[in-house]
Amino acid sequence: MRLSDLVIRSAYWLEESQRYRKVKRAAYDLLENPHSRIRPYFDFFMMTLVLSSVFILLYDVRHQLGHWAVKFENLVVLIFIVEYLARLWVYDDIHRHIIEVYEESELINEPFRVSRAFREILRNKWAYVSSPMAVIDFLAIFPSYRPLRILRLFLLFRLFKLFRYAQNIQEFGSVLREKQAEFFTLLTFLLFILIVGSSAIYLFESSNYGGQIHGFFEGVYWALVTLSTVGYGDITPQTFEGRLVTMVLILSGIGVISFFTSIVVSAFQEKLGEVRDRQVLSQLQKKKGYTVICGHGRVGQVVAGYLHQDRQPFVIIDENREVVMAARREGYLAVHGKAQRLGMLRKLGVGYNARRILCLTGDDVVNVYITLTARQLDEKIEIISRANHHRTMKKLMLAGASHAVEPFKVVGLIAGEYIGQPVAFEAVQGILMGQEEIALEAVRVPEGSWLDGRRVEEAPLEELRLILFGVITPLERESDHVRHHYDLRTHRFQFNPGADFVLLGEDMLLVFGHRYSILRLRHRLKT
Amino acid sequence: MSATGRRKIVVAGSGPVALEVARQLRDRGEALCLVDYDGERLEKARLAGFEVQQVNLQDDDELLSLGLGTEVDVLFSLLDNDADNVFLVISARALAPEISIVSISETEETVKRLQAAGATKVIDPYQISGYRIYEMVHRPVIAEIMDRTVFGTDVDLEIAEIPVPAGSFLDGEYLDRLSLSSRYNLVVLGVVDRDYGDHLIFATNPKRHRIDVDDVIVVIGQREELERLRKEMAGTA
Repeated sequence: MRLSDLVIRSAYWLEESQRYRKVKRAAYDLLENPHSRIRPYFDFFMMTLVLSSVFILLYDVRHQLGHWAVKFENLVVLIFIVEYLARLWVYDDIHRHIIEVYEESELINEPFRVSRAFREILRNKWAYVSSPMAVIDFLAIFPSYRPLRILRLFLLFRLFKLFRYAQNIQEFGSVLREKQAEFFTLLTFLLFILIVGSSAIYLFESSNYGGQIHGFFEGVYWALVTLSTVGYGDITPQTFEGRLVTMVLILSGIGVISFFTSIVVSAFQEKLGEVRDRQVLSQLQKKKGYTVICGHGRVGQVVAGYLHQDRQPFVIIDENREVVMAARREGYLAVHGKAQRLGMLRKLGVGYNARRILCLTGDDVVNVYITLTARQLDEKIEIISRANHHRTMKKLMLAGASHAVEPFKVVGLIAGEYIGQPVAFEAVQGILMGQEEIALEAVRVPEGSWLDGRRVEEAPLEELRLILFGVITPLERESDHVRHHYDLRTHRFQFNPGADFVLLGEDMLLVFGHRYSILRLRHRLKT
Repeated sequence: MSATGRRKIVVAGSGPVALEVARQLRDRGEALCLVDYDGERLEKARLAGFEVQQVNLQDDDELLSLGLGTEVDVLFSLLDNDADNVFLVISARALAPEISIVSISETEETVKRLQAAGATKVIDPYQISGYRIYEMVHRPVIAEIMDRTVFGTDVDLEIAEIPVPAGSFLDGEYLDRLSLSSRYNLVVLGVVDRDYGDHLIFATNPKRHRIDVDDVIVVIGQREELERLRKEMAGTA
């Protein structure tokens, strides 16, 4: 068998192997996946490793450490190497590149060349190796080979490795990165002043002319110390010209420092909201099965209020920053942003931990868009959407909404019913809204309880003063004692079943009654 | 639900809410007139087949000419903005102390303001929608049942108020002994006894209630069953 055949065959074998994919997925979860549960533990472990290895390095300066320290150091380096290689491996799929190149060459009827595939692989892996984080990782391992003293400095790069593991530090970095252009301007200005200042001082204060500067390097050192307003005073200008240069440098130093401070401060001020958003998102990652509420308008506020009362986890996203602030003041988790963005929904955990999403904005276009995006991310997620116009209902359903509610339609219905039967309607409305002492509740018949297998008339409904509205059963249940049933998505609702209807375990009695009566019935069914 | 007599209903406003309400009322066979200041939107409503009238709703004389205080029985104040609604409710209440006035509010605070201004009923669409969505999250099966049966658009079950005629077979019965659930496939929720006020006395109330003439029983069931009960009660009367 030729080499190229072997390469292609093993690439396809890897592509098909479930186990390989599983292992790689696990490695990805451990190292890179920001949503995985295990990653925080791994990060914490690595941070401890980094800190203890640097601590040993520092302790080593004045103390003699036994051979266990060397062993520990070797272990740390070994772990770093394994981590480095694992990250390199997880970065992309080698076999995919081979397959791609192979299929491409098949398509245009050219012989497959292994060298081309390898070039492709190397190009991609190099992209990873040359990324800043990978360089830091590499430098953290590399100086373990330490015949050179200066290389020990690089050992401190291990501290930079902390960047990888601590998200707060990453945030710090990303905030400053936004101000790249300003920093660049500042740096150019600084370099310019530095060169001019150090050249001038070298000219006037050189030891040849009775000054204290012994070389150009000392000039640069002095200029920087002066410019930064640190001013050690180990080198002081002696000549008139030298002092003039000093004064100019001090003045521009003040400018540089204040410019620098203002850049940092404004960067953080601008990004304060985003930093908070990220904190919310990281809190969210610890939760599971929560609800995402898009739009914190009136409807959103009502829903959030009820969910909060019930202690159900949820997160709010709104485009308006003031609305987000108001939600936070209520003690809710809230994020500022556009929910229709795919990336934003993903950040909110749609497709991972979010169980349902409510699209409650006042704009139907946005609601449809969010519905579509969420459905695309997660086939199973429950989507409840608000339709402000009747025509949107159909679109929402097509887009993948599980339910839709029309606020204006609700008004129409209520108005219509109100004209017909004001008292009855208001009463039922009150029951459903939980404003009356009487409630409508579903009471489960536990499997194996005394009511399991008995007839409806044997249930203590009359005694407890409960009105039976119907029984909720599994979809397939038939009975002679029901005159009407309604099929729901997952259950069958048997309206007003006759006295001979037989109840089975896991059926639910839907009853109207005083809250106390309902509690009592639940209690009786338990024993 | 059958219309009980021809009432005159005025719907103020021609936005989406007003049109939806008008549609529902028309489906129930009510006679209504849409009024608004905005001629363009009124034109749209007219094309949808409604009787319309362009009126300055802030002018008492024009309100009087609509029949407020004389012919109109119910006024729906469904304008787009809370302040306009409050103003219209106050003016209407001053002109016609007896009529029913139904309005909508956008915020919770306006509910109280509208009630103080004289509205008989204030609907808060956002509160209700929010609660419904919460129900879907909180107890989806019940929400689905209510949607499929009582509150949806093409539903099968209805809530009905049925007055008890003198001498009918229900006259003199105790509320908890009606056994309509086996005879008619109806669920009795309760009764409204005008002697005790306008609220519903639930069938679960421990104080036994004896039904007499002019009481109204509130039942849930299919339309045909409701009709059968109505007929048979009239027959025994």
